Amino acid sequence: MSVGYIRQILVMARWEFLRTFSTMGRGILPAAIILFLLLVAASGLTAQSGLHIQDGMYQLGTDNAAAGEMIAGDPRFIVYLDSRPSLLNTRDSYDIIILGSEVYVQDTEKGRAAVTSLEQVFEGYSAFINVQEPDLYAAYPLWIDRIYERSTIDFTATQSGQQVSPIPQREAPEPRGDIVPVATPKGTVPYEPDQLRAEISRTAAQDDTISRYSQVIGQESGSGSFRTPNQLSPPLPFDSIILIFVFIFPLYFTSQFFMMSIMNERIERRGEVLLSAPYHPSAIIIGKALPYFVMMVAISLILILISSLPINTILPLIPVIFFFLASALVIGMLARSFKELSFLSIFFSTMATSYLFFPSIFANVHVVSLISPLTLIILEIQGDSFTLMDYLYSTSLFYLTSIILLYAGSVNFTEERLFSLHRLIPRTIEFISAGISKTYPLISVGILGGLVIPFVFMVQLMGLVLFFNLPMPLSLLLLIGYAAVTEEVAKSIGIYALARILPGGLTWRLVIFGSVATALGFLAGEKLLLFATIAQVTESVFGSVMFLSLQLLWMPFLLHAGCLAVVAVALKVGGLRWYIPGIILATIIHAIYNLTVSGVIPL
Amino acid sequence: MKSRNVLIVTKKELGGIYAEKTIVFAILLQLFIALFSSFLMVGLTTMYDPNALAGYRGVEYGIGYVGSDGDLYSIIDDRPDLRAYRMDLDPAIASLKERQLQAVVFVPDTPADADEPVLVTLYMLQNDIQSAVVEVKLKEAFLVYEEELRSVRSNRLTLTPIHLEFPETRERSSYFEFVFGLLIPLLVFMPAIISAALIIDLITEEYQAGTLETLLSTTVTYGEMLWGKILACIAIVPIQSAAWLLLLAANGIVVQHPLEILLHVVAGSMILIIIGAFCALHYRERTSAQFIFSTAVVVLIIIAMSFPYNPLNLIVRLSVGTIGSVHWVLLFGLLAFSLLLSLLLTRYAGRISRLPQ
Repeated sequence: MSVGYIRQILVMARWEFLRTFSTMGRGILPAAIILFLLLVAASGLTAQSGLHIQDGMYQLGTDNAAAGEMIAGDPRFIVYLDSRPSLLNTRDSYDIIILGSEVYVQDTEKGRAAVTSLEQVFEGYSAFINVQEPDLYAAYPLWIDRIYERSTIDFTATQSGQQVSPIPQREAPEPRGDIVPVATPKGTVPYEPDQLRAEISRTAAQDDTISRYSQVIGQESGSGSFRTPNQLSPPLPFDSIILIFVFIFPLYFTSQFFMMSIMNERIERRGEVLLSAPYHPSAIIIGKALPYFVMMVAISLILILISSLPINTILPLIPVIFFFLASALVIGMLARSFKELSFLSIFFSTMATSYLFFPSIFANVHVVSLISPLTLIILEIQGDSFTLMDYLYSTSLFYLTSIILLYAGSVNFTEERLFSLHRLIPRTIEFISAGISKTYPLISVGILGGLVIPFVFMVQLMGLVLFFNLPMPLSLLLLIGYAAVTEEVAKSIGIYALARILPGGLTWRLVIFGSVATALGFLAGEKLLLFATIAQVTESVFGSVMFLSLQLLWMPFLLHAGCLAVVAVALKVGGLRWYIPGIILATIIHAIYNLTVSGVIPL
Repeated sequence: MKSRNVLIVTKKELGGIYAEKTIVFAILLQLFIALFSSFLMVGLTTMYDPNALAGYRGVEYGIGYVGSDGDLYSIIDDRPDLRAYRMDLDPAIASLKERQLQAVVFVPDTPADADEPVLVTLYMLQNDIQSAVVEVKLKEAFLVYEEELRSVRSNRLTLTPIHLEFPETRERSSYFEFVFGLLIPLLVFMPAIISAALIIDLITEEYQAGTLETLLSTTVTYGEMLWGKILACIAIVPIQSAAWLLLLAANGIVVQHPLEILLHVVAGSMILIIIGAFCALHYRERTSAQFIFSTAVVVLIIIAMSFPYNPLNLIVRLSVGTIGSVHWVLLFGLLAFSLLLSLLLTRYAGRISRLPQ
């Protein structure tokens, strides 16, 4: 990178900064400040009065006034006090009836939900009473000290999403490896009763629906690893929801400004001036993105400081920032009108948010969670620092896709592409075909085959997250079909674009060698990325379905080339209309192959 | 204001939405989230209520039991899904690390009626889905044991709390509350927010692309242009919300009072859309208008949620059928408020349409 290039970037960045913040700042600053103050006030109001979404969900009738008063403290219940005979007469209009101390439940889904909530209310009440007992250890005679051990066997078997059932043995198991002496635990709780009292009251008060969403990040328990049995609950992180709000939304928001800045250049051909400057397109793009990048990093740093997290929490956020900016660039260049821009960006944000959010739910539970950088932040909050391998594993796809998207953006940052108003899908094909050389089509489609790999992985991992919860045979079958469709569509993009842009359509030579070249590129990209990153998932049952086995190279190659050739022949013989039927046929072949390889269909 | 001109603008905008296939994205989005509903059922419910994990049944998990003989051993071993093995601590931990056991409990020889608490040490594997399942099962065993110990020590208890006798059947449900109390109101209300963002796009585009002058040079007036666009945005709200309710019904989640819910959503969306239109008319530039609008919406929603009987809560109550005719009064109030806002908007629009462009 030469000095001149860097200077170009800096000039662009300076102008972008001046334009955005001088024109926009004056107009919206007063309103923004007022709204911010209102936001603070509103959050204060909510903290005081609670969130009233689930108020009055259940109807409960009772002749026990004391119990009714206790339950009415929870706004989810509408409590009716009535006499026993009239309650029995009108029992169908209640979800729960309490006569004396007997609880009767309506046999519906809602009734079961109501009794679940009632038990929570009752547990909270019991804790509230018990904690006032002068003899705490009579009210809470059992305490559990929870200690976590690290397994010497890695994720693969039990973590692959299936329930490996240990066959119950008559005798106690014998450890095969070394026996390391473990210190005998002490028999006393190292806390004062008052400390424990405070902690029980705190968790009991917290055990309602609101706190699940409003819990402060990384709140430490006041009694260390010591719990009463009631306080035991598996460590599923609720933090991830909060993290989305705290970190991802501001970042997404800021990337919107960049998206709009790109879009603005295209309105009324305003960007013509920019294009006539003797600057390289990539310098223009990077320069325009730089102020937003700095802003996003600054916002993240401020948020990290406010929530007093370790400073290297920023590391997993950087690829997310890159990814948002790169997507903002491409969406800003693709959209025809503002409403298309809005819908595209809402659609993208939902996808990206789910990709980031859903895996991180399982942060402590399943290795799949590591595909989201947010999981690293959760680990960091818990005090388990992540390794370099973890970082590579969960962020490399973000880095790679961002680079490819930025590349696609800068190749297409020309007058012809920026100001044309074609429909969305033809435009997307135009963007892709900019990367295909008509003189060397074979090399181009081969490289394209390799470049789509990170996107294919992202989409497939998304599917993995989606399906791994379902019962075992179903999830495997769904995943096989899903993986096959994704790969076939991704591979065929190059051939399809060629069929569109070449004047005479595809030649037979292109059909054959194009399929071979794409399959080669696809396979090379797949294997390279696999070795580098996601070896952990590939060793699981699902991995072997999605990412064909690593040893045999010629079989998957034949499969990729063959399936693509099916699509290419369909395009050659039937024209563009036959694309979809071609894809369907190729998918079926692909799925059957995968079923055979994974042993579902015997040879 | 001629209603014919308003309708022409509405038709044009709806046609644009259809032609650009943007609505397809909105529906794709809905389908995508509906696809997640399988996930929502299992995964999110689990997150919402970890105890739902106890539903993983049919497997017997091995538990290492270290320490003195006591009731806890038989409580654990008598469960159909747990099997306890008497072991020494060191080999038990080694087996746990090799995944031959799912948990190890260390029980001291504290007598049941002692002054100090019984402190059980529970060893589990980190980062493990089975640990989460086993922990829920052990929790149930511990609760039984706690109750036993508490009754041994009951002579030391002084307070007499209210007593409730719950039915024996262990059938519990937590997904209902999540789906009806959180998912449905949010999903049904989403189209209203999307439409409000859409009105900003439609209005600011006329300004920024310079097409407003062309439009106003026809017989269409400024007010007709504005209300035509607003009408188009309102029109697509019930369609999307109804699609949601149908998708949910296809997933076996049947909502009560769907028509009333749609009416509330439309009333709420009118308010949001008019606020969006105010922002758009004031800034006439998409970035600023969207920024201010979305912040304002967040503030508005937070404020609304801290009051009982807010629109989201009304949707919850309607969908589970726990509200009488009160909601008509509230709906009427909401409509009156949006009428007031629309009068203000018309006056504001009349004022700026007279300003030099």
